[in-house]
Amino acid sequence: MKDAIDVMDKTGIPVQKIKNKGRKLIVEDGHYRFIFAKPMDVPLHISHGTADLGFVGSDVMKELEVPLIELADTGKGKCRIVVAGPPHLEKRFNGHESGLMWLTVATKYPNIADRYFSSRGVQVKILNLHGSIELAPVIGLSDCILDIVQTGSTLRANNLKILENVIPVSLYLAANKKSTQFKWRDISDIVKKIKEFREVENHWGNHMKE
Amino acid sequence: MGNHFSYVKERIIVVKMSRLPRGCSNVCGDLACKMNICRTSFISSFSRFGYLPFWPSGLQLLETAWEKLPSTLRNRLLTLNTPFGEPCCLRTDITLAAVAYLSSHFSPEERPLRLSYADRIYSNPQNPDPNLENFQIGAELLGWEEEGADIEMIFLLLRYLENIGIKNAGIVIGDVAILRKILPSIKSALCDKLAKALVKGSFSEYFQIIEKLGVEDSKITFLRTLPELKGGHEILNRAKELLGNDNLLGPITRMYDSLKNLGFEDQINIDLALTRELDYYSGPIFDIYLPEYGKPVGGGGRYDGLLANYDIIGQAMGFALDLEVIASFSRTKTMPEKALVWSGGLSADSVFPETLSITQTGIDIELSWVRSRNSSMRLAKNRNVSFWIDLANRKVLRFSDNSDISLDRWLGELKC
Repeated sequence: MKDAIDVMDKTGIPVQKIKNKGRKLIVEDGHYRFIFAKPMDVPLHISHGTADLGFVGSDVMKELEVPLIELADTGKGKCRIVVAGPPHLEKRFNGHESGLMWLTVATKYPNIADRYFSSRGVQVKILNLHGSIELAPVIGLSDCILDIVQTGSTLRANNLKILENVIPVSLYLAANKKSTQFKWRDISDIVKKIKEFREVENHWGNHMKE
Repeated sequence: MGNHFSYVKERIIVVKMSRLPRGCSNVCGDLACKMNICRTSFISSFSRFGYLPFWPSGLQLLETAWEKLPSTLRNRLLTLNTPFGEPCCLRTDITLAAVAYLSSHFSPEERPLRLSYADRIYSNPQNPDPNLENFQIGAELLGWEEEGADIEMIFLLLRYLENIGIKNAGIVIGDVAILRKILPSIKSALCDKLAKALVKGSFSEYFQIIEKLGVEDSKITFLRTLPELKGGHEILNRAKELLGNDNLLGPITRMYDSLKNLGFEDQINIDLALTRELDYYSGPIFDIYLPEYGKPVGGGGRYDGLLANYDIIGQAMGFALDLEVIASFSRTKTMPEKALVWSGGLSADSVFPETLSITQTGIDIELSWVRSRNSSMRLAKNRNVSFWIDLANRKVLRFSDNSDISLDRWLGELKC
């Protein structure tokens, strides 16, 4: 949420009230109405039209595949989805695909996992967990995991190693199809501002590297 | 002789609840009544303009459907083998059935063919929609009728929605022909990906692909601006400036102008990035929105590409709407008042002549043949009807004010 508030602030959306929202799930401020929902529920709110816009992780969008209009990558919350497991699996993942057949993969992204391994022609058993995914190979529930990783410290703490990168993840601005048609002027202003501050951030990022 | 105490133990009948398969539903009650009114209104309003009612088969041969359907629909087919051993799919797209019907039943001289339909379609659910089955109403116009036919369909559709009380339905129009004409000059692999990104609604992916294109400036500027080209007539002017001419904008401009002249200007939105599968659609396309509903309630467009798959050269235009959603937002004429008519022990041949005279007043009735007056009256209250009629005693009970009146007097009042 911190990233979403930061983006809204930069695009001129008023955020003062939502910074101090307490336990409220709906906050109104001028022309805006903010709805606070679980990350996995945001796409449904948008697609049903209860929200015009929403901030959604690209991991959630790819997992749920709810029809949304993906407007812009905010560049925030960058991480990635990877396959990770005990170090001894590295040899199998570096070898022929047949070595991966029927591995048990624990994940909270069963659809992403299914599509990823299917695209490689590999059939795996997918175990759909909802939290502490890193635990699964440690206690023998699965061979490996497909999960989101940022710094990798949780993996290292549980003696797991990144075996493959699956997809990069970041925070996106998404919209309801109807809203992009009938409220485009307001929405396009926000999209433009996101592009502008991303260009500035990229410019300074390149400058710092130099 | 001792006292007998007899206990009448009430029989408790346990009814085992039965459920439907996941993703399926029955529709009854008010919504079913409204759906019926909307469906009847749709078929009759289109039939006045020459659209023949069409009832397609519930099954389609997989070998036929597979090749003709766009890839996005193929993986949603519900397949089965018939008892005759033929791999089939449940009807997923009525347009396909309409075109197949045209190709096999009509010679070119007999075209154009206008069809309308109201039926269920079946497909694998697509998140977040949990339904395997949906009710669809739609129309197809197959032939050589030029642009007038495109306007005809949209005009009749908007007029139909007005007639069932849906004011201010929004229509968003686009034209896939614009992209189809620009993209061939670009590397073909990226062409497909660009179109797919627009169909998917992924602007971020779209812009990433644009950056990789090596095309002349006016085209890339137009493509880069394309997702923003949404709005009213001013969008057409902007597109003309970007393209340097209005050659590609002719059909959509004429469509907009016609609809505007027909009084629908406030309801039309243009979106030049509105895209569908390019090998199926070939010209103007549109989506329909209702003011209070968050998703498109249907849509359609020119699909000459599909006709070509049947080796038919010609023009095809069609659309489909979700009947259940349309019905739930319709504001049709007031439903007739209802009465429960208790036979009061009279024979059927005495009851029916009386009931016919009641129905002629515009009141809908339901007959109650139970012996018990109280049971019949209880049912009337459960049904929430306006009147309970005791035919034997020729009395009418009005639930609105709990008054009763003689049947003859009541009929007299209604006929006035």
